[in-house]
Amino acid sequence: MTDFLIILLGTTMLYVSAVSRVEAYVKTLGFQGIILFLLVVLNAKDMSWLNVSFLVFETLVIKAFVIPYFLLTVTRRNEIDREIEPYLSQFYSLLVASAIFIFGFVVTFWSAKTGSAIRPLYFGISIEMVVLSLFLIVNRKRIITHILCYMMLENGIFLLSLSVANELPMLVNVGVLLDLFVAVYLFAIFFNKIHEMYDGSHVDALTELKDE
Amino acid sequence: MIALVMILPLVLGLASLITRSRFVNRVSLVGTAAVLLAAGVAEWLGIDWALLPGWLGLYFHFDGIGLYFFIIMALVFAGVAVYSLSYFREHRLTAGQESVYVVQILFFVEAMSGVILATHLALMWVFVEATTLSSALLIYFEKRKASLEATWKYVYICSIGIALAFVGIILLSIGSEKIGSLFFSDLYQHAAEINPFWLRVSFAFLFVGLGTKIGIAPIHAWLPDAHSEAPSPVSALLSGTLLNSAFLGLLRVQEILVRADQETFSNFILILTGFLSLLISSVFILRVRNYKRMLAYSSIENMGIMFIGVGLGPIGIFAAMLHALAHSLSKTSLFLTSGNILHHYKTKKIDEVRGMLEKDPVTGWIWIVSALSIFGIPPFPIFISKFFIVKAFWMNGEPWLALLFFLFIVIVTFGMGRAVFNMTFGDASSSNEGSAHLSLSAYLPQVAFLLVLLLVGIGMPHQVFDMINNAAGFFSSGSVHNVISMVR
Repeated sequence: MTDFLIILLGTTMLYVSAVSRVEAYVKTLGFQGIILFLLVVLNAKDMSWLNVSFLVFETLVIKAFVIPYFLLTVTRRNEIDREIEPYLSQFYSLLVASAIFIFGFVVTFWSAKTGSAIRPLYFGISIEMVVLSLFLIVNRKRIITHILCYMMLENGIFLLSLSVANELPMLVNVGVLLDLFVAVYLFAIFFNKIHEMYDGSHVDALTELKDE
Repeated sequence: MIALVMILPLVLGLASLITRSRFVNRVSLVGTAAVLLAAGVAEWLGIDWALLPGWLGLYFHFDGIGLYFFIIMALVFAGVAVYSLSYFREHRLTAGQESVYVVQILFFVEAMSGVILATHLALMWVFVEATTLSSALLIYFEKRKASLEATWKYVYICSIGIALAFVGIILLSIGSEKIGSLFFSDLYQHAAEINPFWLRVSFAFLFVGLGTKIGIAPIHAWLPDAHSEAPSPVSALLSGTLLNSAFLGLLRVQEILVRADQETFSNFILILTGFLSLLISSVFILRVRNYKRMLAYSSIENMGIMFIGVGLGPIGIFAAMLHALAHSLSKTSLFLTSGNILHHYKTKKIDEVRGMLEKDPVTGWIWIVSALSIFGIPPFPIFISKFFIVKAFWMNGEPWLALLFFLFIVIVTFGMGRAVFNMTFGDASSSNEGSAHLSLSAYLPQVAFLLVLLLVGIGMPHQVFDMINNAAGFFSSGSVHNVISMVR
């Protein structure tokens, strides 16, 4: 069951690399949050109750609903529908994404052989999510997409932290979540400002600052 | 003491946000600066009030190097706080705008104290990310189009970098699975048990993350933009304290590698990126037309010098520690003075600023002397630190690298010196009409910093020596004591 969910999580990244509607990104983000929640529940027996309840809150409330809902509002308010033509076309970006997906499995098999104290599939797919998010950030132009891909990167890192048995102290967990929350909030503020001040909110427009 | 440091900025920040009164703003700002400085000095004198509940005390602690960086931060912040009073007046901020400024700057300082004092790797990470978030709106404070662009780049690039640093932390916890804790003390004590492969991989990620915040080349993209677009006191705070505290974070991580006998790997990366920073800054400093960007590139150069110093072993470490202090004070002085220049000339272009000595002699002289200090002209302490780095190269049997180092320094000095002298001398009448004189608080911090630098450079009081010695005592790679005796 967990294996299936993790691979599903990896596949959602393939999906976002092929679509261009921004709302599809937001919905995928919420879907990832729900999968992460299920993964936490399935792993609950290995963790302390305090940690489990915190992680359930983080995934089910924050990652699956609050942040996607917030970003959906921002998207609709600014009337953004589609991603503009990316640097690399949809077809080639799907090709690159598939290559990274396969790389994730290579990492999985490799990490299973190292004998380190990690769960190989978690590890491989989380690396895939991190690398693929970075690729999407580089390839896409809209700032809202950058924010969404940053959140997917964070989801990948969350999965990576599930691959390790060690728990972080609660103080740190709370701090990490607070940082994430404030970051998304600030991103949205600046996104709104850029949308107002610049003609269209994509990174190619940001050319005020140069070394001349 | 730590309770005071960690709680006071929060309380006073919220107080000025709620009351929105000019009086409360000023008291919060200057009061926090005074208290932080006093706390640092008291800690140095060995006075310690443990006001923290035990479990929280576990997470924050003053060690030698932390105290040293904390005192540098408190000094710089004190200067920035005093200068901000003049900034408030010259920019005619409303009480509400002042409150927004004060609350953010206090949260920013709080976050930096957290980075410096945290005893747990992941907790330090939380505070590093908090420094990004709390300073973002400060960079956007003047609400121009360019500052918005700079802020976006800063927040986004640093957040991605810091996210990768978290990957590094998780990878380290895989490698240190037997230790089962990410407290620095545990990691140092059991460094030999950490799997070397995971340790190296995690260092690479942590280096990228913290290096982004430090602004080391090639991951420095946000730095010139943010430093040039932020209000001058904020630029000073970014350059003088933020880079340092992220640097301290990296030093704490690097020490794990040193204790695990992996320092050849980390030292190589430090020296390589250090030289790359020197290269990038010397190329760009020759072509920039904006004096605040020029100062920003000089920060990249100086962080590179510190990287090289730490990578070189005992003598270099001593030099890097001294350099951290001298660079912070000199650069703060320069950035604050750039605020005066901006006030007088209303432009950031080097070519449009002429005859500063005629227009405002005090600003002109401070600008020149601070520049001499950052160039490392004796008797300023940067001369000592650069000299010791060259010496460390020589003693390591790498004279060619010493020559290369020297070459880059000369290029940067030439590029910056040309701009600084063109701006100060010449005929002021050709430049556009400037505004009236500035208040005393626009000069006082810089003069005080330059006096401190002269004192350290000429006399080097033994208290400062001991403090640097104490800070360098954090490093296990070779004793620093013989270096100290050599310096004397």
